[in-house]
Amino acid sequence: MIRKCGLAMVCFLVLASPAMAKLNVVATLPWIGSLASEIGGDRIKVNTLVKPSQDPHYVEAKPSMILEVRRADLLMFNGLELEIGYLPVLVESSRNPMIQPGTRGYFDCSQFVEVIEKPAVVDRSMGDVHPLGNPHYHLSPKNIYRVTEGITEILARVDPANAGFYRTNLAAWRGKFREKEKQWGRHNLHGKKFISYHKFFEYLANEFGFEIVAYVEPKPGIPPSAGWVEEIIELAKRMKPDAILTTPYYGTREVTFLSQKSGVKYIVVPHDVGGTPACKDWFSLMDQVLVALE
Amino acid sequence: MRTMIALVLVLCIGSSSAFGETLEERIKLLEETIKKQEETLKNQQKILEELKDQSKQAKPAEQPPIAPQPTRDYRLDDRSRGIYVQSASPLTPYSLTKQSSTPGLMNPAISVILDTEYYHSTLSQKELQSFSTPGFIGNPQPPPFDEGFNLREAELAFFAPVDPYFNLYATLPVTENGIDLEEAYFVTTSLPAGLQFKGGKFKSGFGRFNAFHPHAWDFVDAPLVYKLFFGGDGEGLIEKGAQLTYLPNLPIYMILGAEVLQGDNDTLFGPDGGPHAYTGFVKSSLDFGDSHSILFGGSVVGGKTNTTSFAPNTVLQGDSVLYGLEFTYKWRPSRWRSFVVQSEYLYRHQTGDLTDTIALTTDSLKRNQDGFYVQALYQINRWRIGGRFDRMAIFADEVVRAGEKLNFSGQPYRATGALEFNPTEFSRIRLQYNYDKSDPNKENQEIFLQFLIAVGAHGAHAY
Repeated sequence: MIRKCGLAMVCFLVLASPAMAKLNVVATLPWIGSLASEIGGDRIKVNTLVKPSQDPHYVEAKPSMILEVRRADLLMFNGLELEIGYLPVLVESSRNPMIQPGTRGYFDCSQFVEVIEKPAVVDRSMGDVHPLGNPHYHLSPKNIYRVTEGITEILARVDPANAGFYRTNLAAWRGKFREKEKQWGRHNLHGKKFISYHKFFEYLANEFGFEIVAYVEPKPGIPPSAGWVEEIIELAKRMKPDAILTTPYYGTREVTFLSQKSGVKYIVVPHDVGGTPACKDWFSLMDQVLVALE
Repeated sequence: MRTMIALVLVLCIGSSSAFGETLEERIKLLEETIKKQEETLKNQQKILEELKDQSKQAKPAEQPPIAPQPTRDYRLDDRSRGIYVQSASPLTPYSLTKQSSTPGLMNPAISVILDTEYYHSTLSQKELQSFSTPGFIGNPQPPPFDEGFNLREAELAFFAPVDPYFNLYATLPVTENGIDLEEAYFVTTSLPAGLQFKGGKFKSGFGRFNAFHPHAWDFVDAPLVYKLFFGGDGEGLIEKGAQLTYLPNLPIYMILGAEVLQGDNDTLFGPDGGPHAYTGFVKSSLDFGDSHSILFGGSVVGGKTNTTSFAPNTVLQGDSVLYGLEFTYKWRPSRWRSFVVQSEYLYRHQTGDLTDTIALTTDSLKRNQDGFYVQALYQINRWRIGGRFDRMAIFADEVVRAGEKLNFSGQPYRATGALEFNPTEFSRIRLQYNYDKSDPNKENQEIFLQFLIAVGAHGAHAY
């Protein structure tokens, strides 16, 4: 009986271990997983830890995520401490030597980013300020262009047999990028003014020439108080911004109220790939965001 | 320049060699030497020029490869510039230093968590001092708080990667009585096959509640079952020892672990000269959709017992085994809403000899006892409300001394309600009420107002 059980257990373990053929890539955020899939195609298997509906700032390190990271050949993450609340515990608990900090499997996408808003002085009385700079660079074509190249290079290094395949896919991706670049350029956002819920659109504002005049959050990560909401309403009435921007996970409760009181419309901007059904990949995410802003 | 060298050469040669040679021979020799020198110089100049050319060609590559590109005031609507595509230079990270940002370069990540509370009980300080639960811990076990203001601890926590193979953790609660060493351990990061080794002094993997530090508890105090089986304030099993855990590559999360511990816990174990406690545990977790998950498992710890906690003026020597079952359910649809139910059941089997240190008699003692707690917490926005119920002696309540069954309290229990406000993830204000009937002769109603304030490195939160 015991021997039978043991045999069954061994069979189970053997069958359960994944086929070695595909490179296992674990991405924290949906857009990272999406870019990796585009470059890796059918040669890699991508698992994304954070769901598009989740606030990327506050993710719980679930045991199922530990298991995903345990199987990873490559771990790709946003960086700039966006994942600081859960990634370190996932990485240590994964018991996976291939993706520990300092190894090539621990891939910080932000290393290719020209970071903005890096505070010279920071303490937590300022709210949840990211001390390494604004981490929401994924709506920045300029930076994503480089990040995608970085993703390609790391895939090629970890899986040299398919390096040519990855680079070909990058070339195709860049072709599409050039097309899209022209399309995006036709959106005229220059000089527009917005109020935003969170510091989420700064890279986009820099590149497309619009302005974020105020935030619904009094400080990053701090929900607005009644008094602050009053101030924002006054400000909205005075400055007459084009719209109030929010993302699906912040909900529409505050912005609906603000919108009613100030007469300024609000826009729910998709924040990541999969955030709305139309955002199938990074390009369509950018399309949707720009259409929404216009 | 050349003449200078020639002159020097002349001087050198003239002063050193040429012993007993004619003047003509010496001049000839000199001329030859100068010619040779000239040739060498020419050659050298050639090499120098070649080097110059090489360095000119090599110059662009010599620029620091990690230098950030100058920031351009770029607008996407200047699309004619096609700026993304124009850079032909190889891709290089802007900054390599930022990856190791938080712990600084060589400094460990440090945090300080202040745990301070106001405490009020319906019992007097004197009555609290004699609070006990006979049958479990017969010695007085007063609450760890005084009437009025309390400072439980300021916990100092350190973390840093040691090298590519180890991480190091240390937790040092500072109290008014001095500094304590709650935990100090290393953990491996690079063992193969899903294995991990931990060594030092650490919180055992036994059970669910055991892993958490007091500031991460869901209530001010520990479950009754932890207080009565592990003693003290119920912080559980914190031991010197070694732990090996294994995370197999299965379709579902399952972790297996075993520990060898010194067995210093003075309620369950006690001094025995050498490691004499052993644990084993298995835990598994499942997700149901994106927002529901459960964690469940079983643990066992056994070892040699040598304790004075049974009753005043007694020593119990023998063996103890403690079994634990745990279950946690979490629903967390967003950052702003969550519901968590957690429960643990513990069963203790103990046999040994009980010595009365005054009468100097020794009897046999057998104890089969159990207890459980169940708690639920509901969070909405920055508020969280929670309830907990503790009860001992549910299915097993057997204390046999010298073949004779002893009757104690019946079923010690406690009911708890708490309300929290969490301004940010670094601060928490908690109001808690306990109705505590774990001493059969006393009824303790307690109120806590607790402040938990954290500064320093942002710790990652375990599930």
